[in-house]
Amino acid sequence: MKRFFRVFIRIILIVSGILLIFNLPSLLGIGKNHVVLNFKTLWINVKADFQLLVDIKGIGYLDFFKKLEIAESYQYTMTILLVSLLFISCLATVSAVLIILSPEKVRNRLKSGINFFEAVPDLLVIFLFQFFVITLYKSTGLKFLQLYGLFGHKPYFVPIMTVSFLPFFLLLQFLIKVIDEEQVQQYVLYARAKGMGRIRTLIVHIMRNIVPLLILQFRTIVWVLLSNIYLVEVLFNINGFNQQFRKIVYMGGDFPSLVACLLMLSVPLLVMEAAGWLISKLIKGKEAISL
Amino acid sequence: MRKYKKTIIGSTLLLLLLIVSILYPLYGPKDFNHQVLVKNDQGEILGRAPFPPSEQHILGTNRNGEDMHWLLLYGAKYTLVSTLGVALFRVVFGGIFGIFLSLWAPFLKSYVKDFFLTFRYVPSILIAYILMFPIVGDFNDVAVSSIVICQMIILVFIGFPSVTIFASDVIDELLKTSFVQSSKLMGAGKLHIIRKQLMPYIRSYGILFTVQQFISTLHITMQLGLFGMFLGGSNRAGVMGYDEPPKPATISNEWAGLIGQNFSEFVRAPWSILGPVIGFFVVIVIVNVIKKELEENLYGIKAVKRKKKAIDPKMLTYTSNQFEFIQK
Repeated sequence: MKRFFRVFIRIILIVSGILLIFNLPSLLGIGKNHVVLNFKTLWINVKADFQLLVDIKGIGYLDFFKKLEIAESYQYTMTILLVSLLFISCLATVSAVLIILSPEKVRNRLKSGINFFEAVPDLLVIFLFQFFVITLYKSTGLKFLQLYGLFGHKPYFVPIMTVSFLPFFLLLQFLIKVIDEEQVQQYVLYARAKGMGRIRTLIVHIMRNIVPLLILQFRTIVWVLLSNIYLVEVLFNINGFNQQFRKIVYMGGDFPSLVACLLMLSVPLLVMEAAGWLISKLIKGKEAISL
Repeated sequence: MRKYKKTIIGSTLLLLLLIVSILYPLYGPKDFNHQVLVKNDQGEILGRAPFPPSEQHILGTNRNGEDMHWLLLYGAKYTLVSTLGVALFRVVFGGIFGIFLSLWAPFLKSYVKDFFLTFRYVPSILIAYILMFPIVGDFNDVAVSSIVICQMIILVFIGFPSVTIFASDVIDELLKTSFVQSSKLMGAGKLHIIRKQLMPYIRSYGILFTVQQFISTLHITMQLGLFGMFLGGSNRAGVMGYDEPPKPATISNEWAGLIGQNFSEFVRAPWSILGPVIGFFVVIVIVNVIKKELEENLYGIKAVKRKKKAIDPKMLTYTSNQFEFIQK
């Protein structure tokens, strides 16, 4: 009973949080010279939005949402997300192994190089990619890299490259840190004492042990990828899922549509969290057995 | 040892930029060398703005024929001051609320987390976009100051939950340490613990949080500027050469606004966007160096302490919630 009560309170809090957060602008009435706080408008808006949200059987429910090209654009955005994620994880793993195996002097220099990319704003990367593609086109006349999503075109290659650039360095930095920490562990020393090769220890044993950490880190990567995809879709004028979302805000769509869009957008994050939860539970179970 | 060499150099550079920008009216041209057409002696038109970077225009000009480097210098003060203000307010409000949560109302923490759940699943740029839209989405004829205050409130609000939760986590961690525990055993009140035991930590964490929030605010304003949500609203006079609807320009010439204003010129005049973006980049790099050093100072000392603890097991502390009693 107590547990049920808690879940109930939590649901109420989450819903009221969503309602209040997105109605914040109506609290701030802009006067001529000063800002007025009008709680009344906020309350009216919150109430109206709540009624819209609850009124599932109403005639206009999610009407706006159905008008948009949801399925198609969602598929496109999720494809970009998934391909980038796979691409990043493969490339980052390979580069991390190579960097760890390289001589110490080179490794330190590479590490500080990677750390530098932390400070690069995502907009700069996107602009530079755009600039590069345009100059390439201007100077060679080749148009093999499609940039803009005009006339319903949905380019894949350039957006994926642009989106993956910064998260790649983020993941690489993380992997190197984790592997460095792992290398002073007892089992690595033991493997070395048994005469196992360095590469073999690294690829077979250390890699296997950092997979859970890697999956936990994926949530952050997906998070960064999502906001990058949003920027890329806007800047390259691609008709992806985030553009539908923008249309809802821009053309004054109703509140339930907005919530539905946001929920769809948070699905990949939820999946990643579920995977992380599963993995951590699996490990705990194993440890309990081995103890 | 604590070192603040990089921090001092970095903040001096930023301060210098700020002062130079504030003093702009004393030395800079008022119209930013406004020049749309270039004519030769016979009055023939040689060229039309935007001009590429050259000796006369170091960073090129935008479509209005204004020099980018003057604009950047002029707008720097708005960018820096507003960002710093937002970061400070976020840390002060979030920090106080976080301390309150940890010390007086620990049972509320999970509920607060639930209330702000949206921020965990929706990228902050989307939230910022939704919240900003009703305020600066269109031209409106209200005072600039009230628009700026509204924008500041929203920007502070966006960072508030993460700072609160983070601060509360840090305080929770500190409350478990032996010196706080023993102080509590000797009968210290909560305010006393804050004043005596936690204050040094609050100070250094506060500075670190401010620097982190500074970076995230810079990112958010930059992206909002791109969507035409300029700090202080848009200028109806706008960018030259567009008929109806008028293309909005930024009022303050703040950097994010410059990006958004010139974005449609990307193919013709990439320099007018890359200039402000690289400006942002330089500021972020400087702040990031400061952040790294502060983090090293803060966590480096902790690591040393942890090592000492490992050597001397007597210093380990136990709290009641580390144990689980079999027979309750």
